Amino acid sequence: MSKSYFDETHTAIGHPKSTFMQWMLTVDHKRIGLMYAAVMFTFFFVAVATAFLMRLELFAPGAQFIDGDTFNQAFTLHGVIMIFLFIVPGVPAVLGNIVMPLMIGAKDVSFPRLNWFTFWLYILGCIVALASLFTDAGFADTGWTFYAPYSLTTSTNVIFTLVAAFILGMASILTGLNFLVTIHRLRAPGMTFFKMPLFVWGIYATAWIQLLATPVVGITLILAILEKYFGIGIFDPAKGGDPVLFEHLFWIYSHPAVYLMILPAFGIMSEIIPTFSRREIFGYRTIALSSASIAGIGYLVWGHHLYTSGMADTAKVIFSFLTFFVAIPTGIKFYDWVATMYKGKIILSTPMLWALGTIITFTIGGLTGVTIAMIGVDIHLQDTYYTVAHFHYAMLGGVVFLFFAGLHYWFPLVSGKMYNETHAKIAFYLQFVGFNLLWFPMFIAGYYGMPRRYFDYLPEFQIYHQVSFFGAVIFITGLIYMFVVFFKGWRNGKPSGTNPWNATTLEWHMPSSPPPLENHSKVPYVDFNPYEYHHGEPVVKFDYETMKRID
Amino acid sequence: MSHEYIPEIATDRDGNKHEVQGWQDDFYGGKLGFWLFMFTEVLMFGAMFMVLAYYNTLHPEAFIEASASLNRLLGGINTVILLVSALTMGLSLLKMRVGDVKGAKLMIWATILLAIAFLVIKGFEWRAEYNHGIFLMHGEMLPESGMAFGKKLFFGMYFTMTGIHGFHIIIGIGLMIWLLKRINAGKVTPAHHILHWNIALYWDIVHLIWVFVFPYYYMIGAGGVAGGH
Amino acid sequence: MDTNNTTIDYKKERVAYYKVLVGLLLLTAVTFIQPHLFMTESTFLAQMTIAVIKAWLIIMYYMHLKGDSLIGVMGIFSLVIVATFMVIVIGFDVANFQFGAESHITGPASAGVEHATPVQH
Repeated sequence: MSKSYFDETHTAIGHPKSTFMQWMLTVDHKRIGLMYAAVMFTFFFVAVATAFLMRLELFAPGAQFIDGDTFNQAFTLHGVIMIFLFIVPGVPAVLGNIVMPLMIGAKDVSFPRLNWFTFWLYILGCIVALASLFTDAGFADTGWTFYAPYSLTTSTNVIFTLVAAFILGMASILTGLNFLVTIHRLRAPGMTFFKMPLFVWGIYATAWIQLLATPVVGITLILAILEKYFGIGIFDPAKGGDPVLFEHLFWIYSHPAVYLMILPAFGIMSEIIPTFSRREIFGYRTIALSSASIAGIGYLVWGHHLYTSGMADTAKVIFSFLTFFVAIPTGIKFYDWVATMYKGKIILSTPMLWALGTIITFTIGGLTGVTIAMIGVDIHLQDTYYTVAHFHYAMLGGVVFLFFAGLHYWFPLVSGKMYNETHAKIAFYLQFVGFNLLWFPMFIAGYYGMPRRYFDYLPEFQIYHQVSFFGAVIFITGLIYMFVVFFKGWRNGKPSGTNPWNATTLEWHMPSSPPPLENHSKVPYVDFNPYEYHHGEPVVKFDYETMKRID
Repeated sequence: MSHEYIPEIATDRDGNKHEVQGWQDDFYGGKLGFWLFMFTEVLMFGAMFMVLAYYNTLHPEAFIEASASLNRLLGGINTVILLVSALTMGLSLLKMRVGDVKGAKLMIWATILLAIAFLVIKGFEWRAEYNHGIFLMHGEMLPESGMAFGKKLFFGMYFTMTGIHGFHIIIGIGLMIWLLKRINAGKVTPAHHILHWNIALYWDIVHLIWVFVFPYYYMIGAGGVAGGH
Repeated sequence: MDTNNTTIDYKKERVAYYKVLVGLLLLTAVTFIQPHLFMTESTFLAQMTIAVIKAWLIIMYYMHLKGDSLIGVMGIFSLVIVATFMVIVIGFDVANFQFGAESHITGPASAGVEHATPVQH
């Protein structure tokens, strides 16, 4: 009973003796999730460092530390790592892997070996992506969007990045496929779709986007490679190709991709809010269905990236119209969360703080998104710092903040230990203040016309860049602080017990902490809703040996 | 799994027993997973068809002219070959399911031969195009040639899509050889044939893609330049 | 659909395979005579309709999707998504191509185009 998943594992090939090989070959979803987290956050810090380098360069007008070409490569590196290596696999690969099977009472995902293979495919993609840093031609300087025709003519090593994005896309597809089958097949008996925890709903909606949008960008990247090296002509105006078509195909994936990032993050929010309000979630069905409808509508709004591309006016109007619609299900979710807290017993633990902070930052990010969904406004603000600030408020202030919230929330589950709450809260406040100081001035700078991706600027924008810089310093300090808190908690935190937050969902009903290799000791029969609280206490209680209800 | 998998039983509060579906021995799960994979193929080829339709809308006449110049006889023969290979693959699966392992293997070999025949004919077709000066990075496809944009784009996509389809055929042959090895090793048996089932599905989706590739490239210009749009 | 515990009528299923084969062969033959026989003004539409019928036969009988509503619904969902992409991009954007008159990519590349194309027969 005392053996946890750290002590034993199933492997894909053979029965290796060494601990190292056991980790490399493991098929256990919890271990794979942890390995994803380790790799992902390593790259995350590389990308943060690149971003800080750019901030440093932008502290004053003119060139100080790096030249323009290096700056182009720097923002490409930042974008490629953050998007393809970190945030797209992000929440599903780490928390989805670790928590989702536990939440539905499964022993593992449907295809454990495929999960293992996917992880190594992801590693291969990472290696290919970064390999071009060490080649003569250098890293791509196209931006992470690889817009044709520039990406077809640049002399930098764009092919590495294209191939890497394709491989990482494959890994993303296979993750989604694995999760879809898992959610359809391996739910505990009695758990209908509307008895699933909302994080699982988020993962489910995400998995559909991973599955049905990623192939489009995959083939687009292949077509771009074929165009660059075999001259098939379809993106090259010299042969009659239309670069706008590349933008269409690219954004057909890459816009749904932002919903792919945010939906599981919203799922984390839906777990944290009821747990720390000690109340059943308000409007369970509306949250679940709004996840599905965000995923659905999200397929049809990619054109708002193309307002200035010369796309037909009719199409612009339709895209603008559809884009506004995404705000509706998102708004429903936010009202539901706020309504859940109403008259609840709110406990301001660190995960809850992160969730509440996100309500502020994501609301700013979301509402500024609505403004640039308007065609006229967007013509003014396209490719300015306003858009950059919007994007980072939604992605960093939405997805990554909630990712951090989830890390704090499930940290005791994964490690069996508790981090220091006081220090974790200080880290939150540092990052929250730093974040707003870093990005909010960019809204103003962008509104006054500061274009994105420039390494030089007019003197009148200096004040905004300098405020941003100080924000960046505070933010990065908080970031490092947070990981130190995690690290210390992991090394010598107090044992947390199986259910430190008094949460209700199945992953907190483990026989031991950290969980054993094959999860629950017995598969429970689920005849209850995921968030049942009565007078601030969880309703459903289990005998953790037999997994029978004892309430 | 060397030992037989026994599903767990969950008991609800009224004492009713419910069989738990484990990830082991989940035939339907394996099938569902492979179908989901095939949907990604649909999306990939769907996007390529979209590219094709995009330029078709911009250059309708050039597309019909270019289509008319393709070799419909060879394309038609290939269509029939794939059609028959889908049958042999289906029959091999059927024979596997009823326990005729030997017959199943024979039918897989037949499918492999038909697939190779398809590739050979495809090769002859591409060779003929090359001799006409139409090939990637060659002759009329170069930027400086005077061939109409619509035709360049048509042939560019023709080589891309038939090429990627051919690549799928090659992968299919590889998969079938692997399947034969698994059958010989006793890993795929009439009682446990999900791999066979899924490779048969894969072969069908390869065929299915051709069902659309063939008319879009070879047949839209069959009525001559005057007819059809 | 699990075949472990259901008996299979070998003869019946084999006959079904051959029936579908005959159907598919007939439809292939129709694709060849269609440009000279019917719908000569819209070969494209006719060809694609035939392709859809063939695809339906393959999916239902060769891929055994008949009677499986879950995968069927998922399949329809993916097809609807592809179709919507097409409708939006082709139907709204390209159909209203804005700069046709001044566009470089829609104009003729250069003079003397015709003779360059290999013409079969």
